[in-house]
Order: sequence, then C-alpha cells, then structure tokens
Amino acid sequence: MNTVTKNSRQTAPSLVYALPTDMGIFRVVNKVEEILLSLTLMTMILLACSQIFLRTFLSTGLLWADPLLRYLVLWSGLLGAVAATGQGKHIALDVLSRSVPKAFAPWINFSTLVFCSLTSMGLSWAGILFIQGELEYELIGPLSLPVWFWSAIFPVAFCLITVKYLILCFLQLRRIFQMKHLQG
Amino acid sequence: MSLLKIIIFCLALLRTPLFLIISAIALVSFYTADIDISVVIIEMSRLADTPILVSLPLFIFAGVLLSESQAPKRMLHFSQIFLGWLPGGLAVISLFVCAIFTAFTGASGVTIFALGGILLPALLADGYDEKFSMGLITSSGSLGLLFPPSLPLILYGVIAGSRIDHLFLAGILPGLCMLALLAGYAIIKSGPVKKKKRRSTKKDFVEGLKEIGWELPLPFLLIGGIYGGFLVPSEAAAVTALYVLIVEVFIHRDISLSQLFPIMSKSMVLFGGILVILAASMASTNFLIDQEVPTRLFEFIQKYIDSKYSFLLLLNIFLLLVGAMLDIFSALILIVPLILPIAIGYGIDPIHLGIIFLTNLQIGYCTPPVGLNLFLASYRFEKPVTELYKSTLPFLGLLLITLVIITYVPLLSSFLISRFG
Repeated sequence: MNTVTKNSRQTAPSLVYALPTDMGIFRVVNKVEEILLSLTLMTMILLACSQIFLRTFLSTGLLWADPLLRYLVLWSGLLGAVAATGQGKHIALDVLSRSVPKAFAPWINFSTLVFCSLTSMGLSWAGILFIQGELEYELIGPLSLPVWFWSAIFPVAFCLITVKYLILCFLQLRRIFQMKHLQG
Repeated sequence: MSLLKIIIFCLALLRTPLFLIISAIALVSFYTADIDISVVIIEMSRLADTPILVSLPLFIFAGVLLSESQAPKRMLHFSQIFLGWLPGGLAVISLFVCAIFTAFTGASGVTIFALGGILLPALLADGYDEKFSMGLITSSGSLGLLFPPSLPLILYGVIAGSRIDHLFLAGILPGLCMLALLAGYAIIKSGPVKKKKRRSTKKDFVEGLKEIGWELPLPFLLIGGIYGGFLVPSEAAAVTALYVLIVEVFIHRDISLSQLFPIMSKSMVLFGGILVILAASMASTNFLIDQEVPTRLFEFIQKYIDSKYSFLLLLNIFLLLVGAMLDIFSALILIVPLILPIAIGYGIDPIHLGIIFLTNLQIGYCTPPVGLNLFLASYRFEKPVTELYKSTLPFLGLLLITLVIITYVPLLSSFLISRFG
C-alpha cells in the first residue's frame, strides 16, 4: 500500500498527502508519537504476558489488568490513527483520482482535506459531548481513575487529527499558490 | 441530505480516508434523525468491551517484526534443505512459505515484497519459466489468509462475534485444499527435473534446523497453546509478540534496538488505520440496524432468490468484485455487518460464511483488472500489469475451483470444529 502512495507522490509532487518530515516541528511530533506508541505497545505485551505468568504459576491475577488492557488497545489504536494522519497512511480508495485532470488535482485534494477537517471536527465535538455525559456518572475505571479519563482519548485523538488535517489544508493551499507563482 | 451523501460518496473515490467517509455518513444520519451525535462515540467506545481486539495490534506487531527480520530468508533456506527433493520442489516450497508467511503477517502486500524478491530469481534459476514464476508468486501473495493466526480471520471474528478458536480451526482444511490444488498444478507444470540437484547432506539438515530453530516452534506454540487449553487467542497473541520480539531482537539480533521503536510505531500506525474504520463502522452499522436495513435487504433478496445455493453463488460474485476493489480489512468491516444477518436468514453458518468471505477476498486480490496483488507484483518485478494478468490466469482458475468447493462443501470448514472445537 505504502509503495503505491510513494509512487503516486513522486509523479504528482503538487499534491500534499503527508506532513513534511524535513521540518523540525513535524520531526519532533513524529518522534513523540513513535515513543508513545512504542511504550503503549510494550505495556500491552508485558501486561498480557504477566497475567498469563501469574495465572499459570501462581494461580492468581491482577483484577485491573484486563480492563486496562482493553482501554490501552483503544489508546494505541487512536494514537496510531493520529500518527497515520500525519504520515498519509489511512486506508483510502483511489479509484478516480488518477483520471482527474492534472490542473484540478491540487484543488480536488484540497477539498478532500477540507472535508476531512470538517468531519474530524464533527467527531471531536461528538467526543466532547460524550465526555460531558460520562462526567455526570462518575464511574471509576482501571487504576482507580475515572472512566471519563480513559474515554477522553476519543476527543483528544480526534482533535489532534483535526489539527493535522487543518495543517495539511494550509500546506496544500500554499503549494497551489507557489505553483501559480512559479507559472506566472 | 441525499445530495450531501452523494458528495460524500464521490469523495470516497478520491482518496479520502475511509474512516472519515463512514464517520461523516454516521454523523449526518444521526443528526438528521434528531439523535444526539455523541451516540457515534458511544458506539465507538463499545470497542472497549471486545476482549479479542487486543490480539489485533499484537499479531500485527509480530507480523511486521517478522517481515522486517531475516526470518523469511531463513524459512526459505530451511524449506529448500528439507523439501528440495520433492517433484516441483521449489515451486511447492514457494507456495508453502508464502502461505505460512501470510498467515503471520496478515497482509498480502508484505509477502510479495518480502519474499517475491528472493523467490523469483530462485525459481528462474531452477528452470521455471518467467510467466509461471510470476503467476505463482502473485497468486500466492495472499495464500495463507485462511490459516491461523491470520489477521483477517480475527477481524471477521471481532465483527461477526464468532469464536476465534473456531474460525482458526475452520480455515485449516479449506486452506490446505487450496494449497494442495496449487501444488498439484506446480508439480505438473515443473515436469521432469532439468538440473541434477545436489542432495542435502546430514550436515545441511543440522545446520538448517539450527538456523530456523527459534522460529520453527512458533506455529506449534500458538496452536498448541490455544487448543491445548493453556491460552485464549488474545493471550496467544501476546505470547507470540513477546516471543518474536525476543528471538528477532535479542537472539538473532536481526533488528537493532534503534530499529525497534520505528517498527513498533509502524505496526501501531497500521493498527490505528484499521481501528478507526472499525470504530466508525460500529456507529454506522448501529444506524443501519436501527433503520432495519439488513432486514429489508433480506426481504428484498428473498423475493428473487429462494435457495441458499443461488444466494451463495450471488454472494461469491459480489465478494469477488468487492475483493478486487477494496482492501481486505475495509471490505470485511463494511460488508460483514450487512451480509451476516442475510446469510443467517438463508441458514448459512457464520463460521462457514467467514471462510467464504476470506476466500473470495483473497482471490479478489489477484483478479484483473484492479486486484491489488497484480499491481504490487507489477511494481516489484517491474513488469507491465497486463503481463501479470496473463501469468496469473491459470492460478486464478484453480483458486476459483477451490472457492466452489469451499462454498458448497461446508463440511470442509466445520469438520475440524466438530472434532476439536
């Protein structure tokens, strides 16, 4: 999949699909995401394996481990999706874009990015409403932390995705004007 | 509103991420039905109640780590030593190695990229013609999706709510049937051995065993752990991930610690891409069920098709088309919730349906004109895609024969469950 993306990026440099990795700030963001994702994954592996060890050899187990593991899966997946947004690695269908005339392609890519920003904004808003609802119940989740804390990853991840799409919109627009400037 | 939905549909074909397309439809649908949009997130958060979900990131990580290591080379070398004497030796080996590799890595692209580069020159050097060799690798790029612990099998289980250990058992005989048919063809095509090969010596055997010694127990650990009653599938995933991590990073040292973080992050990015589609479809499926769409669809189809067998035929054609256009993960997430209630209405067992689904989607991968394997192979081998259409055709024919067997002989999927399930 990635190679197809790389290939089309080479032939169409006028289109912005991913955040540039040569810019300092985005490199830092990538590194931070990489560390967070690796730590979450390591925690999941070790937590699940220690549960098996405790059960098999000591006939015991940690009560909070399984619910924690289930939330960690959501956390790792949603953080992975935030990273996928910046790297342009979301699963997408590419049926029509190759038959779009070259002159329109940057504008069409810009409109899909605007759509992505709007939808992720909608999801963030839905997430905030959801957390407001959770706050009323005061339920307690794993590690004695409230359930709303564990569920807060939804609005947080969708807000981050929104920010990344807005930056991509801006970069695509800038590229369009740069190209116009070059042609002019 | 329907205009808005048409625009969203057009955007879907223009490289807009699928999870945002589904989310947008869900948000718009709930909003226009005067339902609070926080329902979308409530549905998404229900994923936390699915204990088996944890096996997805863990198996993805194990698969990515295996494919980035030297394990594929070791597997091939080992099989050459032990199975090289077989008629059609290398072709049969290629099929088996691709199948095992795909079962662990779950995605077909990885197999063509990781193994294609080693297998194609080896097959050509062994005297197989180029057309046959390319067809073999392209079509076996997704072979093995029916064997445990393939990710699409787990994903089907998550979506359909079927038991993963049963799905693992159900895939084995259909997968073997497919392998046997392709291997038979490879043996016939290879004809008499053209070159006198050096026979493997005892020393070769010992060295081959030593080399693969750490990876060889992996399938047994996994299957033995689950069916010996020691591990549930999600725990088996954790053990596999830890085992592969220790073997590839600390024992073989194929992967350095500095490479490990990027690989871990790459696996989580892959998982993230799948999870958000899954989450979004939880919301949209809930809306569809609320609107009784599957029930109405079933009533509509029942008007025209009354037999289970004609329904299955129609399903096969539909899924082959879907498999050629969508990647396997999004195809499963989008189509299973709609088809499952209809198939149950026709008296089809959900586990059998899962195997039919995966077989179709697997074949769809190498179906012209748009099957993904064809493009990946064309990119990898630097050959025009039309040439690959021709070379894959005989293999495609054989895969379609297995599809018919798998679809109309449900016993193939249910036999092992009735014995060991």
